[in-house]
Formats: sequence, C-alpha cells, structure tokens
Amino acid sequence: MPTIPVHSFLVHPGKNDEEAPTVSSATVREGRVHEMMRDLFGRAEQDCDVPIIFRRDHDGQQQNPCRDLVIAYAENPSLHTARHLAKRLQAFSTHRSGIGLLFLMKDMHGTKHKVLLSRFPADSGVLATEHGAELSVDFVERVFMKNAKAYKCAVYAHESTTAGFWKGAAVDRQISGYHELSEYWIGEFLASDLSTTAATGTARLAKAMVVAARSTPDSAVRSELVTAVQMLANQTGRRSGRSYLQRIGLSDAAHREVEYAIGRGTLLDEPFAIDREALADQIPFKAVELDNGAVMIADTERFPEVFRKERLDDERVRYITEGHVVNEIIRKHQ
Amino acid sequence: MNDAQLQEEYRRRHAAVLAPLAASLEAFVKDIVAKVPRVDRVSARAKAPDRFVAKARKKQDDGTDKYSEPLLQIQDLVGVRIVVYYSRDVEPMRVKVESHFRAIELKAHCRESEWEFGYEGRHMILATPSDVTGGFAAGDVPEFFELQIKTLFQHAWSEAEHDLGYKTQKKLEKADRRCLAFAAAQAWGADREFDELVERLTESRA
Repeated sequence: MPTIPVHSFLVHPGKNDEEAPTVSSATVREGRVHEMMRDLFGRAEQDCDVPIIFRRDHDGQQQNPCRDLVIAYAENPSLHTARHLAKRLQAFSTHRSGIGLLFLMKDMHGTKHKVLLSRFPADSGVLATEHGAELSVDFVERVFMKNAKAYKCAVYAHESTTAGFWKGAAVDRQISGYHELSEYWIGEFLASDLSTTAATGTARLAKAMVVAARSTPDSAVRSELVTAVQMLANQTGRRSGRSYLQRIGLSDAAHREVEYAIGRGTLLDEPFAIDREALADQIPFKAVELDNGAVMIADTERFPEVFRKERLDDERVRYITEGHVVNEIIRKHQ
Repeated sequence: MNDAQLQEEYRRRHAAVLAPLAASLEAFVKDIVAKVPRVDRVSARAKAPDRFVAKARKKQDDGTDKYSEPLLQIQDLVGVRIVVYYSRDVEPMRVKVESHFRAIELKAHCRESEWEFGYEGRHMILATPSDVTGGFAAGDVPEFFELQIKTLFQHAWSEAEHDLGYKTQKKLEKADRRCLAFAAAQAWGADREFDELVERLTESRA
C-alpha cells in the first residue's frame, strides 16, 4: 500500500508584503516526521475540539476561498494544490505570528475524504550532542515543536467534496491573547467562524442554568445558580459552556444540575462568546445592588412583591423583605 | 441508486429523522423569535418524498443529472418559514436569524427586471444547530436546512401560486402568467403601502 504523503511548507510572514518571501516545500513520505503526522492525522478528531464552519461570501453566495482550496487539495492532494493553502497562510501571517511549518495530509477515512492542516510555530532551542563522555551544546533556531500552547490544526472530513467540507474542527491553543491568535488561524486563514454563534451558545447555557435553578430541590444550589447566571455577563473570550461554569466557580452539585438540564453533555463542550443581549433575554431574575453593598435578587415577575420599595427623602431607597431563612451562603467567586 | 431505492431511503430518513427534526427546528426558531414583534407565524416541514425524488432527478440544460449525490447536495430537505407583517420587518428578522445560525447562503429572490413581478422572499441556507440534532443517527441528519423570510403578502401569493402549479394539469398560458404577475405586483404594492402607512403612523405617534 503506497504511503500517504505529507506536504510540508516553511511559511514566512507575508501579510501586506508586496513581495512575499518564497514558500519552500517538501513532500515527506517516511521517517519520524511522517510517523508523527500519521499519528496526528489519526487523533485529529480528538485533538480538534473547536467546531468551525466556513463563512459564506459577502454577496451571500455559497462560496469560500479557503474551502475551495481545501476541496482542491482533497480531490487532488499534491504539492501544487497544497501550495495554494501555504500561500494563503502566508498572506495572513504577520511578524507577530512568525514563521510556521505547515503540514497537509489527505487520506480516506472510511468513506470520507479527510484533510488535515497543521501549523507548528518556530521556536529556538538547544541541541545537546554526546560524544562519549563529552557533551556539545548548540543553539538552534527554527525548531518547530508541537507545543500544546501554540500548535494549530484543522481537520475536515466528508463523503462528498461537492456538498461537504463546510464544517470542520480546529484546535486553537494559545499562549496568550485568545482572541487575536484564534482570529489569525480560524477567522482569517480558514475564513471560518465558530459553529456555535454567541447568541445561541449564550441562550443555551443561560436557559439550562435557569431551568436547573427552578427545578433543583436544593436551595443552596438554586441560590448559587441564580447568582451565577448573572455573572456570565462579565465573561470574556470564547469558551465552552463547561469552561464558563468553571470560571464562575460553580460547585460540582450546581454543575451537575446544569448538565442534567441541558440534556446533552456535548453541548457544554462547544465554544462561543457571551452575547449580553441573548443573556438578558434568558434571565428571569432581577437583581438590584445598593451603594451600601447590598444585593437583592428575586424572580423578575415577583420582585416587587418580594422586596417592598420605599423612597426616602434624599433619593435613597429602602427595600423591605421578610421570610424564614432557608439558606445562608458565604462564597468567594473567582 | 435507482428512483425506487432513492425514494425508499428517503422515506426512511423522512420518518426517522427529517419530520421530527422539522418539528424540533420549528420550536427552536419560535423560541428565538418569541420576543420579535410582528411575526405572523413560524412553520417548518420536511420535504415530501415524492417532491424529493422529483428534485433529485432534475436535469441540467445539457441533459445530465443536476445532482450526483442528492441526499447530500439538496439542502432544503427541511425548511422553515418565518412570515412577518411588513417589508421593513424582513431585514431585522434576517439579522436576528443570522445571529443565531451560521448561514452559508443568503438570497433575496425577486425578478431582475424592474418591469416584471413574481416570487419574492428571502432564502437562507443555515447550518443545523446541534441543539436539535440529539437522538438522531448522525449520518441521517442534514447538515443544513433552508429558512425563508416572507411578508404576509409575499407568503399569500407564493402559497396560492404554488397551489395552482401543483394542482392544475394544464400548462400556464401567457395570459395566465400575466395574471400571476399582476397578482404579484399587487402583493408588492400592498407591502409598499403598508410599509408607508406604518412609517407615517409611527412618526405621527412619536
């Protein structure tokens, strides 16, 4: 059985350059690099945990320049078809993104055409060589490592190269600045968006938290969820629902209630940004904070009934409520 | 696959996935637009098996099959329609829909010539959200569905025109097509009049 070639390119930054540097290339068919790429190819569906989708063009047509290149490569994997993708990556690479080593592979995965694109950033390192009892150390530039914090990858698989290859999955681990580097790989080079829109992801998570708050018999968990859903408004970046829940410090018990309410745990794994308008649509709780530090929260419809409001002479207000204490919580929020 | 095999496979998917998926999508979209004013209705349907086979076997001008992989290439196996009151409500609804779904296609259907009238509507091809795909075999769930946004008048014209085309055995004569165009022009005019009325009445109340 012929080996599947790995098409590799050294991509120098070329954004806004009138004469971009040459993109050198090689076809790898054997050896440790080939083994590494076969391994990555096989694990791509596990590694690539960010569902993405190619964007439509500005005229509303079903056309995307990067998708076209990926399909051309899928239908005829070669250095020639792969080079177009390398040149495209160069056109979006800045000196901040630096030099990268781009690998492309295509193989059949059952009945599906599967394409893997992966980028390793350049780094520097030290090469240690032993000669008997002697050791020599040399500084090495252009070491390309699969650094978990900077490695980028995208995988596409579909039975059809005409109807499919709209959806894919990416891995997008950042050293810093999630938004900026994610935008370079996913937004610019792949001309794609996260599959889950901010509005849908936010509504999904908030709805599950509200449903969980209303259905749980545990009053401590209910209180926690009522507070937590409003804390989503302050969350930044693009994260999975599960990650948002961890960042706002949700207890295991509350997390379980949310997972039960959402129905399918995998829905908590899809990343999205928080959409405050979509969040406000889902929160049935009203919260009022006073300048003395008091925070009052109750169901929006019952708020006036639960907290009786009195206006004082100097534009201050007094809220009055009464009932039996069912829970008292002292918590530190992250 | 021959026609019989294609229809059998489609019937299986229609019962097992497409019909329930359409119901789930209808509820999902209704929830999204629940607070949007002037929405007349949200409805969804799975394409009927006979209509699917007819579309799957369409030919191009050179006589070749339009679809080599109809089960994958035909993107309106499930369709959702949102009917809004006025023309001015269409674009805000489009924005609302695109904030919740990923669109790979957006078409405003209208006659190119300013002297012609006919079908009008906003059609979008949207990625099926994972919120509604649970419980179905992954390979049977269509990746995309079609969503149409129409005004009340656009919807009335297209429903009546569709009914005529579906039920009559006769081929439409030129005079018949002229009548349809006239009715489409009246629908276009009604949309324009109501839009202007809304603007005037809204201004006068401001």
